[in-house]
Amino acid sequence: MKKLIFLFILILTSCVTEVIEPTPPPTSQKIFDVKESKVTNGQSIHFDLPLDGVYTLTLIDKESGQVVSRERFNGKKGENIKKIYTNSIQSQYLYMLLEDVARKEIGKTTIITK
Amino acid sequence: MRFILVTLFLLISFLGFGQTVSAPDPKSFLQSTNGQDASGFVLNGFGATETLLASISLVNPPTGTTFYLDRLDGLTPASGFTLPGNKTRLVVTGTMANINIALANLKINTGAIKGNVQISVAATVNPVGFFYNGVNGHFYRPLTATADRTTYTNARSRSLATTFKGQQGYLVTITSTSEEEFIRVNVPATNVWFAATDEVIDGRWVIDAGPEKGTVMKTSNGQTAGNIQGVYNNWCPGEPNGSNGSENYAVAKWNGAACWNDLSNNWNNPYVIEYGTWTNPDDATFTEFYTNSVIHSNGDVLRAQFNFEFGQNINETQFTTRLLAQSNNQYLPTTNVTRTLNGLGRVDMTSDLDTVKVSSGNIRATTTTGQVEWCVIYEYEASNQRYRIGIDSREVNGIVSNPSTINNLQLFDLWNGPVTFNSYDSNGWTEVYVYTSTPFNFSGSSFASFIRAGNGFYGLRAEFGFSSTQNYKQHGVELNTTNVATLYNNIVTVSDVFLAFKEVSNRGLLGNENGLEFGSGVQFMNADVDGNGIFNEADTYQLIQHLTGSEIIGNGSNNLSDYMKILPKSEYDAITKLNWNTKPNSTTNTYFPINLSTTSLLNTFTYDVFWKGDVNMSHSALQANNARIDTKTSSEINAYIISEVINNKVIVTITLDPLQEAVAGTQFQLNYDNNKLKFETVEFKTKGNPTNYGNNRGNFINIGSLITSGNGMLDNTTEYKIIFTPLNNTTDILGLTSISETDAVNSNGVQLNIKIK
Repeated sequence: MKKLIFLFILILTSCVTEVIEPTPPPTSQKIFDVKESKVTNGQSIHFDLPLDGVYTLTLIDKESGQVVSRERFNGKKGENIKKIYTNSIQSQYLYMLLEDVARKEIGKTTIITK
Repeated sequence: MRFILVTLFLLISFLGFGQTVSAPDPKSFLQSTNGQDASGFVLNGFGATETLLASISLVNPPTGTTFYLDRLDGLTPASGFTLPGNKTRLVVTGTMANINIALANLKINTGAIKGNVQISVAATVNPVGFFYNGVNGHFYRPLTATADRTTYTNARSRSLATTFKGQQGYLVTITSTSEEEFIRVNVPATNVWFAATDEVIDGRWVIDAGPEKGTVMKTSNGQTAGNIQGVYNNWCPGEPNGSNGSENYAVAKWNGAACWNDLSNNWNNPYVIEYGTWTNPDDATFTEFYTNSVIHSNGDVLRAQFNFEFGQNINETQFTTRLLAQSNNQYLPTTNVTRTLNGLGRVDMTSDLDTVKVSSGNIRATTTTGQVEWCVIYEYEASNQRYRIGIDSREVNGIVSNPSTINNLQLFDLWNGPVTFNSYDSNGWTEVYVYTSTPFNFSGSSFASFIRAGNGFYGLRAEFGFSSTQNYKQHGVELNTTNVATLYNNIVTVSDVFLAFKEVSNRGLLGNENGLEFGSGVQFMNADVDGNGIFNEADTYQLIQHLTGSEIIGNGSNNLSDYMKILPKSEYDAITKLNWNTKPNSTTNTYFPINLSTTSLLNTFTYDVFWKGDVNMSHSALQANNARIDTKTSSEINAYIISEVINNKVIVTITLDPLQEAVAGTQFQLNYDNNKLKFETVEFKTKGNPTNYGNNRGNFINIGSLITSGNGMLDNTTEYKIIFTPLNNTTDILGLTSISETDAVNSNGVQLNIKIK
């Protein structure tokens, strides 16, 4: 009888529909480790900081060299994740610049917004 | 000295000054005739030993029209072309001398279909690995080697990272049969990625790169299902099918066939990078690339070419135009076709002409030889340069209901042209004047035996016939553009307003309008924003209301007719500071009447466009006699922007560093994401007693200061804090706000550049 119950349970569990979990996205690449990235509105960006402190992220129009947006924020040592928004930005090709409080460049890359 | 000269020579040689392609004048070809001369294109200024790429093409020729080169000395056909035979496009390589020999022997074959025969010739030093398409003037770089083959998304991003002759690359788009054929012939590979994807919504295929990026091609999978009319699709049978749910990217030359398939992103395929965003080869802006064209015609075709001159900061290609014709005392579109201006503001509207002739209401008189002297020509009046001519009214009575409508006369071989009516006596003579600086050649006339010299007159034995003259309908032209409110926001800025204030304050209440600040009458017309023919305080008040957002000129309307003014070039050039107030100064996006010539097949019209409120002429056409109005300098002032979250508010701070400039006005357009932020206020920190403004225009804030008193200036204490409340908790704000347009002006009325650091 035990064998029958075991077999029954085995059959039941074997027939359960397999739930396919979405494949987790690959570990996000550090944005300043690549030369160029395409970004969408609200996308998270990953980057490393050497120390806790005040930093700025600056977006610069590649064509005109004009700063179009700059955020000052408190960063922590190690990996930081922040969001970037593109709806208000009219330029398509921009440099993104990461600087510390003394305006020393920590990282620079190109982003494409559209 | 010799060394300097040699160095200079080498430098000039190296820089390659003066390369040009010159074009012949337009002409008409005979219909259905082969081998007609189409020479006149000449390349100049290239190095004698350089190998050049030259493209010769017919742009949208009438059916049956082709060309061939009668001399092919030293030429090599580019990939996909052969030298001999009749063609609509040919790309060759060769030296300048060889190409010029070929161009001097360019022949046209015409068919029975009339129409424009536009020949375009382009030349550049031959780039290896690139192919030039003479139809659209773009270069294409196929990447077919095994090492270059890659996924679609890689091909897309790699293309964007390239430049060629000053143009950014993009993954090739295929938007026409001719472009498809060009790719088929020139890319020696199959399964070639091109920029089309349905990665966002399955089955909704969009163009994914280039100037047409975002254009929907079709709305569902299947060879023709959901194809958008007017957008080029060329799918293979059963494709696209979105197989595996991952086939989101398109290839051309699928398995060698001349059609498309959809594939997944895990294929490593060849691809093509395209360079050039224009549709007309004449608009090409490649560096070191030289092009020219001529529009001949096949047969006697009435042609209409328009040239719209805008200001230096206007992109002409954002405007479309439409032709109108008079019907029942109103001007209506001749077709539903709208045509886009090319980069030079030019457009050919021949195909849109209404060529049906209507009675002009006037009468033409013509003579034949007769037995009776029904006509008399009185002595030439040298002082008025005219003849008085009498027609016996018995010839006119009962035939011409209104003799004053006689406005054209053919008088044997003495005269054939316009006349001016003088008088009518039903029992005597009907008289007209012929105005001419050249007296008639009576003695040399073939009809001398019918002409009798009297005492102070000539009698002509002539019979008269009368016919009503037919003219082309009067035409009109209309300009349009999309999103004119945004365009206009960049036209009227703080430097315009400051200049208007400066002019009106210098003039004084009872002063004249000689223009202490304004250099031209057009500036007065633009500054006269209420259009009443007087530039005064009421106009400056409206301008500052516009700047501060209290009352925007045009109320934000999207009708071009609320902002633009247009005049024929001759009238525009004649506007002066003394006569401007005699001209109508209302805004309009149309011009009429346009009279088509009855004696010439080629009608060319040039119009100048100027803008209400564009006081500094930064966006208006420049007058011919006033080549440039230098209201802008290259001087820069610095500004700094930073945004941060403080006490759950997003605060954007803009500060000014005027350096050595006496800044009297500033303007910044701060865009913001109104789905994420709610605008609260602007806090100003300024000195010099300016008018500060910070008005919300929905998705941007217009911020700045303007000193209107004539005294004081802004300095590095100038600071604007723009405060927003986040609509949801957010600590990340990069890109939620951004600066786009800026403007500044110094106390001399000179426009300054703002460099945002």
